[in-house]
Amino acid sequence: MALFTIHVNGESKQVDVDADTPILWVLRDNLRLLGTKYGCGIAHCGVCTIHLDGDAVRSCAYPISAVGDKKIVTIEGLSEEGDHPVQKAWLEHDVPQCGYCQAGQIMTASSLLAQNPNPTDEEIRRAMNGNLCRCATYTRINRAIRTAAKDM
Amino acid sequence: MANSHNSFKNYKHLASYIIALILVVVFVISCKSKNSASTEYVVLSKITKKDSLASLAAFEKVYSVLMHPRCMNCHPNGDIPLQGDDSHIHNMLPQRGPDGMGISTMKCANCHASTGVPGESTPPGNPLWHLPPSDMKMVFQGRSPRELALQLVNPKLNGHKNLQELRVHAEDTLVKNGWTMGGNRELPPLTYNEFKDAWYEWIDNGAVAPAN
Amino acid sequence: MAKVKTHFNRRSFLKLSAAGGAGLMLQFSWFSALAKENPNLESAFDLNGYIKIATDGTVTIASPNPEIGQNVKTSMPMIVAEELDVNWKNVKVVQAPLNTDIFTRQLAGGSNSINQSWNALRMAGATARYMLVEAAAKAWNVPSSSIKVDAGVISHAASGKSAGFGEMAEAASKIEVPKEVDVKSIKDFKIIRNSQFNVDGPSIVTGKPLFGLDVYGDDMVYASIVHPPAFGMELKSFDATEALAMKGIYDVFTIDAYPEDFERGYFDITAFPKLIIITGDSTWRIMKAKKLINAEWMPFEEHTIKVKGFRGNATDQKVPTKIENTDKQYASMIALSKENPRQARKDGNPEKAFANAAKVIEREYTAPYLAHSPLEPLNFYANVTDDKAELIGPIQTPEYMEQSVAQRFGLSLEQIDIQMTRIGGGFGRKLFGHYLLEAAVISKKIKKPVKLIYTREDDMTFGAYRPMYHAYYRAGLDENNNLIAFHVKAGGIPESPLYANRFPAGAVDNYLAESWTIESNITTAAFRAPRSNFMGAVEQAFLDEVAELAGKDPIDFRLELFDRAIKNPVGERNDYDAKRYAGVLKLIKEKSNWGTPKPGLSRGVAAYFCHNSYVANVVDLRMENDKPIIEKVYCATDCGIVVNPIGAANMIEGGSVDGIGHALYSMLTVKDGVPQQKNYNDYHLIRNNDAPWDVETYFVESDVHPTGLGEPPFAPAIGALTNALYKETGKRYYHQPFMVDIESMFLKDEAAV
Repeated sequence: MALFTIHVNGESKQVDVDADTPILWVLRDNLRLLGTKYGCGIAHCGVCTIHLDGDAVRSCAYPISAVGDKKIVTIEGLSEEGDHPVQKAWLEHDVPQCGYCQAGQIMTASSLLAQNPNPTDEEIRRAMNGNLCRCATYTRINRAIRTAAKDM
Repeated sequence: MANSHNSFKNYKHLASYIIALILVVVFVISCKSKNSASTEYVVLSKITKKDSLASLAAFEKVYSVLMHPRCMNCHPNGDIPLQGDDSHIHNMLPQRGPDGMGISTMKCANCHASTGVPGESTPPGNPLWHLPPSDMKMVFQGRSPRELALQLVNPKLNGHKNLQELRVHAEDTLVKNGWTMGGNRELPPLTYNEFKDAWYEWIDNGAVAPAN
Repeated sequence: MAKVKTHFNRRSFLKLSAAGGAGLMLQFSWFSALAKENPNLESAFDLNGYIKIATDGTVTIASPNPEIGQNVKTSMPMIVAEELDVNWKNVKVVQAPLNTDIFTRQLAGGSNSINQSWNALRMAGATARYMLVEAAAKAWNVPSSSIKVDAGVISHAASGKSAGFGEMAEAASKIEVPKEVDVKSIKDFKIIRNSQFNVDGPSIVTGKPLFGLDVYGDDMVYASIVHPPAFGMELKSFDATEALAMKGIYDVFTIDAYPEDFERGYFDITAFPKLIIITGDSTWRIMKAKKLINAEWMPFEEHTIKVKGFRGNATDQKVPTKIENTDKQYASMIALSKENPRQARKDGNPEKAFANAAKVIEREYTAPYLAHSPLEPLNFYANVTDDKAELIGPIQTPEYMEQSVAQRFGLSLEQIDIQMTRIGGGFGRKLFGHYLLEAAVISKKIKKPVKLIYTREDDMTFGAYRPMYHAYYRAGLDENNNLIAFHVKAGGIPESPLYANRFPAGAVDNYLAESWTIESNITTAAFRAPRSNFMGAVEQAFLDEVAELAGKDPIDFRLELFDRAIKNPVGERNDYDAKRYAGVLKLIKEKSNWGTPKPGLSRGVAAYFCHNSYVANVVDLRMENDKPIIEKVYCATDCGIVVNPIGAANMIEGGSVDGIGHALYSMLTVKDGVPQQKNYNDYHLIRNNDAPWDVETYFVESDVHPTGLGEPPFAPAIGALTNALYKETGKRYYHQPFMVDIESMFLKDEAAV
């Protein structure tokens, strides 16, 4: 066990966990930020995606010991009112089916648009290829990203 | 770990005079080859003739490691890394990007943290996980032994490394990582130390490229 | 207007409201995460199990069925709201608790939620509306027939009086429940048939805790399982010394979720009734500790288990001792497909017709095991004591699992409280609730609340797969290229996918349907569009070849057959409506501009009927680096009344892409009984980059009773894909998944295939 101070959604948090604990389980078990999901534990499905200094990081494969002073943003901290352009576009296109993967999809999409405000369709597909949607809402996800790009 | 690192430093120190000598020769030969019509880059074969057989034998070992998935997967033919013991195209199709670090939401470091988390198939960690950059792709996949040897010693194709720098590359953390990725990944056919010895033997004996 | 009865169940649905005004919703209150979403419910009046109206006019509608992504949490309350005549914007929706006294069929499966609840939902809304109107009539002393209701406002034109629902709620709760009520004419629908956004959308996009995995109870212990690595094996012994030495690990023990004498229900499927359990203080530590368990496993003896049928008739099921291998399973399917199977239907004289046919074509198709692999892995929260069981989590069959829990612990149904969370995908897997029972057994044993979590690897290697299937088809044409004989022989491990009375049965004079099965200890389970997911796909691929042999356009060829089935059907048990079937084909023909192919793209068409709805697809694709780039999928659907168009289109889009994805990429194989795919690195699901670029959906305008959409789009999309791939590559694809060379991997020695 070791004490780690991490920056999550603008706040400083201290947690006492094993050094190899993935950020995912610190968020869920310790901080009860439950929007970040567990899907595979091997960075293959993307439901655990968070922003680490703005990058779309898979929190299930990222040990707490490697975070340092990098800033974590989770789906809960993406916007104060749930009105980030990507979130709004997701509602406008009624994207979710079961909804389990969508927080991860939104975190990846918002990281994409922050780096590339006007992505091509090809760039969207490639950027989102690490996020599985078992309900296969991919066409709506990509439509929503195109809408959000216009609003950003 | 610290011990082996120090002992390597000592070794490097002892060897540095020899290497400096070799470097002069390399420089002379490389100038020569620039003038020749051939694009082929044959190194040191003349002055270390008596050791060329040892170099060749060593390269055979080196080649078996470099073409192993643990090394080759990040030296792919295209712009997408390979993955797994069967060297399939990386499932998520991340792209190399200009600096080899990936692109936008698909940066290598987004999944390959500085340290990985333990597990059978978790992404291996490394602080500098990357592919060769797009202006020098250092492709291993599909290269014959001769092609790979010639590529490795050519500063225009090997990341601007002279032979000394190339030699030291055996100590690169990503190279070493090939043996420490964990999970149930197959290890390269030689141990790391065996590989390092073969690498030095190949270079120190003339970095000979095998005939086709 | 039509009249519907207000009583569907054993007891009056009003009983609950009599038992206490806020009782229904209070059951959520201890579960703080959910309660936060539903404030101010305590002062509300229950008009029936579905509807609660607060004095401030807030209308809360309970959605009875498990929400698994099929949109019922939006579409079912829409039906109630329609009949209640409330403004949809003022409606709050909550998930109802399991209560078989109030609700009909609280189950997510068979694409039947809307189909089977349509009348009950309309009744609930219309009854509450009636009671509100009666209350106003009494208060204002005017005849109820002169009162109008619009968007939650009750008014009386002559006196100019009006009141909101909230003002009349208390009085309405004292009105006697009518024996029957009027429901609206379809033409008067204002909410139904108008797109309404997913009611959980805002919570989903902001990461609110909605799912089973998000349940964190006070004083809760985390638990994970270790199960046999291979089918056909059971635990011999284990050593947990290393795991127990880890910090934060509480205990390691075994459980028997289903003891040998337990009479299992239909949804109690498990290959591994006996498990090693690890409990600890955090998810990560129990996941690490799992790997430190040193267990010895051994092949089990052949035995039988008692399984209850739906009608309560228990049968003994044999569990064979076999260590399975995929290549041998393919070989055994092919061998059995050549033997004499069980006849399921015969019309005319098929053998004579084949003998007289001018042309005969025969083909064989296979499909592998599939893991459902919902992104939310199996998990459940349980708090079980001697006299009560609280269970919260993702379950498609709460009614059935409640009975299993009652039987397992000797509790009455009243002592069991199952709460349905939003389900993070199921596709059939979460119909089979062994994980619920396991959590309950663990909690009872350790006398603490527990959350059981399967790792992805546990989830994928635990069995309950889509069965392996094989189908042999034969068709005979006369000299004028008319289909005169049709033969289907289908089987699988362990079930046959055959539907003997499906098209083209009824459209061919000489028809033969046969079936066979092979037993196995690898457990299988209903997978999105059970059996149809294979039969629809391969039947439509075969018909494409038959149409080609006949020299006919594939749509025209099918329409000819439907024409026959409409005018002069063969047999009486045909399970489809040929007019509606032809209807979706005609719609897809028009919408896809069939006959005007797009340059650079190859297209295929298919149509299928299952789960009471009709779907036709056209797929447009091209090959690039040996992989299909699917630029467009067109879908035409007839599901009767479309309750919520935007949600309905979502189901059709996703279902089509899901079918295409599995047919191209997914398979689960076994070697020496060990599943060879354990996680998404080697079990391939379709990803964004490979998904169709666009899906266009169209619905047949219809006033027919609404039917489901979860399952019908899956199979025809595969058929259209297969036929488009042929047009593009000149190669027919017979073995799913198409992007894997099944023939060289598993069928090399089978010259016949």
